[in-house]
Amino acid sequence: MKAVGARVPRYDGIAHATGRTVFVDDVRIPGTLWVKAFRSPVHNAMMTNLDTSKAEAMKGVHVITSESVPLLEYGHLSALGIPADEPLLAKDEVRYLGQPIAVVAAPSEEAAMAAVAAITADFEEQPALFDVRKAFDADAPVIHDKGNWYTHFEDEMDRRQIRKGNIEEAFDRADLIVQGVYRPAAIEHAPIETQVCQVVPEANGRLTIYSCTQALYFSMGVVAAHLQLPLNKLKVVGGTVGGGFGGKVDTATETMCALLAQKSGKPVKWRWTREEEFLCSSTRAPWHMEVADAVTKDGWILGRKMLTLHDAGAYSRFSPYGLTKHSFHHTGAYSIPNLEFNGYVVYTNRTPTTAMRGFGVTSVSFATETHMSRIALELGIDPFELRLKNANRIGDTSPNQIPYTDPSTVPTILAIADAVGHDLTPEYAGMTPAPRSGDLLPEHLVGQLGNPEAH
Amino acid sequence: MNLTVNGVDTTIESGPLTSLLDVLREELGITSAKAGCEQGGCGACTVLVNGASRRSCLTPVASIDGAAVTTVEGLGSPEHMSPVQQAFTHHYAAQCGFCTSGMMMAAQAYIEGGGSDDHEAIQEALGGHVCRCTGYVKIIDAVAAVARGESFDLSVTAAGTAMTNIGGMA
Amino acid sequence: MAVKTGRGFAAIEYPTGMNQNGDPSQAWIKVKPDGRIDVFAGTSDIGNGSKTIQSQIVAETIGVPYEWITYDNSNTDSSPVCTGTFASRATFVAGKAVEKAAENVRQKILEIAGKELEIDPSDLEIIDGEVIAKGAPQKKISVPDVAAAATWGYGELITGTGAQLKPYATIVEPETGKVDLPPHSAISYASCAAEVEVDDETGTVTVTRLWQCYDVGKAINPTLVEGQIEGGAVQGLGLGILENCYPYYPSVEHRGGQFGAYLVPGMVDLPQIDTLIIENPSSDGPYGAKGIGEMANNAQPPAIATAVFDAVGVWVTELPITPERVLRALQEKAAGGGAPKRDGKTVIFDSNLSVNTVGTGIAFGAAA
Repeated sequence: MKAVGARVPRYDGIAHATGRTVFVDDVRIPGTLWVKAFRSPVHNAMMTNLDTSKAEAMKGVHVITSESVPLLEYGHLSALGIPADEPLLAKDEVRYLGQPIAVVAAPSEEAAMAAVAAITADFEEQPALFDVRKAFDADAPVIHDKGNWYTHFEDEMDRRQIRKGNIEEAFDRADLIVQGVYRPAAIEHAPIETQVCQVVPEANGRLTIYSCTQALYFSMGVVAAHLQLPLNKLKVVGGTVGGGFGGKVDTATETMCALLAQKSGKPVKWRWTREEEFLCSSTRAPWHMEVADAVTKDGWILGRKMLTLHDAGAYSRFSPYGLTKHSFHHTGAYSIPNLEFNGYVVYTNRTPTTAMRGFGVTSVSFATETHMSRIALELGIDPFELRLKNANRIGDTSPNQIPYTDPSTVPTILAIADAVGHDLTPEYAGMTPAPRSGDLLPEHLVGQLGNPEAH
Repeated sequence: MNLTVNGVDTTIESGPLTSLLDVLREELGITSAKAGCEQGGCGACTVLVNGASRRSCLTPVASIDGAAVTTVEGLGSPEHMSPVQQAFTHHYAAQCGFCTSGMMMAAQAYIEGGGSDDHEAIQEALGGHVCRCTGYVKIIDAVAAVARGESFDLSVTAAGTAMTNIGGMA
Repeated sequence: MAVKTGRGFAAIEYPTGMNQNGDPSQAWIKVKPDGRIDVFAGTSDIGNGSKTIQSQIVAETIGVPYEWITYDNSNTDSSPVCTGTFASRATFVAGKAVEKAAENVRQKILEIAGKELEIDPSDLEIIDGEVIAKGAPQKKISVPDVAAAATWGYGELITGTGAQLKPYATIVEPETGKVDLPPHSAISYASCAAEVEVDDETGTVTVTRLWQCYDVGKAINPTLVEGQIEGGAVQGLGLGILENCYPYYPSVEHRGGQFGAYLVPGMVDLPQIDTLIIENPSSDGPYGAKGIGEMANNAQPPAIATAVFDAVGVWVTELPITPERVLRALQEKAAGGGAPKRDGKTVIFDSNLSVNTVGTGIAFGAAA
């Protein structure tokens, strides 16, 4: 092979190194209006008396509110059956600090800031919840009109469930049950390019949207839905993004700018400040995970019970998808035949959380791998050998009962053992991902294997 | 006010408290310096002012009246890239490219100051610049290669540190 | 009071492409009259190198030099659908779409070359921009000449389209999570060892080394793969010991609104990183590739948490592992606390964090 596998020059390498790559903020369109947002100053409140009249009376200023949006709530993952629950602009209530309520376009950044400062509203504050555990408490105040957690998994179940094998028998048979709690933090994507877009109303009635989106067609679909326009009215220009890490799958600015471009008839541009990026853009979710593993003295993981609370923040966004992915991978790189997983997407009054690198699985990898280390210590078993023993093999089945066809858990573990100079007994040093047999096919896995050729 | 920007004498029309970043980007249309934070925290707006690296977002233009300003555009063109630019290209030191201009200007100041290929010295000198993509490995490799005076074949890319095809998979 | 060293290890897996699939990517390619290739795809380059990778796949598949490829992902008028650059799908799913489009272009070039050479297209191959008769290399025609013949002689446009879509895997039993199809198209695997230094006086954790091994299926561009792994490693380090939007979670006060107050990893935090790559090809990815970007920050946090325990004997399972958390845990340990509770055959770590202690009453685990 010539091109594939080769260390060819980066396609955009010289453009990057000469400063000539054109990012959205580098697009220059004369007469462009600046955009700024009037955002919620509180965490949770009923909102009344929103008054934008003073701002609208300012010269060259255009304002949009929830009244301006043809379809206020659109479910970004409606195709996956995840219903809409977040308005593009807050109406009657606000659920997180920094939630956009009204957005203005003005001839300069200063004028836009002055217009935002002229907007007023009354906020009747409600109790706010920030701790995902307490939001899940039966006595917690209800902060979301759909309840404190998401209730629209298949068959309108209020949780994502995985069941496999006979969990109670596994726990009865176990020599040891190891429990632990794992709580990774919310973190910010922090791309060096903040959220930014420019929208230009064209003479033929189309809107050209210069966007930093990670997903051109996805963002176009979101704008088209909110504005109730066919796709031929929109052209999304982008494909060159100053870092994303998942945060630019959110369509954070494009729809509001499109509405302002329509309203003003002028090009508009919104570049979030770094402070907005840190405080108002979505974050990686904080998670709360409790793991209980049923293990034998000689290091077999017979079963796992797991409870996950996924902090969605104020609205669902992609969280139900993330939790489902999380549940499908909650056994990590191992074959665990008996499972009981319950996961909830819980609402709090934090900034809504969204996809970030490793979405749904970063959390479960942290929980279950730290847990594996604890089990190894409790049992006095070499941590590499504990993992190799339980590592998924060809024909082992996933939490969804799908056979693994080509797992490489074993070779990656062996490679690291070798790299760090960790001695393994010959039985483990020579291990491969081949289908289980002999000592590595213990009684509890007999009858649990699938046919990898079936898929 | 006047600046010499990339060797060209330039009269500045913006107000005296306008940031050098806004002067470059909005008045002069020089867009290599990026508005990554406008708080002095990320380094994406870094340029050279009289040869020293400066955060252009925190520099009121009046404070440098008469100075010589160098941006990436002044380092070299696609046809004639400077050693720092060649090194960043050859080493894939840019991923998304948004921090790259500022990072290269800091590297340029480091090299012009006689900086060595010592990794810790490079980490110290460029330590205030945030890159969220690369993990810094290839940036440090690129700067060290310039410090050693290496030349760069841009038809290929520097071999990285990864060892491939270990582990004996079929 | 001392700086203590510890090591920890973790092994992980990650699905490539969207969970449950159902995420289309498409591409189309046209050939200019001089044989140069224009690729149109809607796949954003977020630094991951989509523009480079997809150009490499097209060059390889058609059999022309990489430098002949122009890649246009700039807008939705000219580019067909791509679900987007996330879920480790840009190389794996979108790359497969351009491979299919390129294969169709290759077939069209062979067809026209066959007419020009009067040889059956199945007896031709394309190497370095030349269409050559298998076993008779003196019989050949360049791709530019084929493109010119198509344009000026046959009145044809050499073009090809490609679309990749794995069908959506439906959950057919919500009670158990059973699905009707595999919910993943490929799974990538990785292992990571971390070495840390922990100052038991200040609580500061320093990650000094990371050893990482990834199965990437096929490294279409080894330099880009390294870049993903190195960048991911440093983000994983940030997850492990530095970053937090809410430093006093669950309190929402004191959020950092600038880089000076939110701790992204900087250059001085960089540990020594040793990277090993395994190529265990996937059946669905282009040239056997799997996705590598997303999982690249998943293995470090558990390896670091374990290394901290190895160093100073305390488990910090709330991330990030800040000096404050380390010191509090050391203090608790010094006061005789912090050990797991033992109840019969059950060992209970972190009982202070459990939902059971905050009154939810959810039945969980053996102790519930």
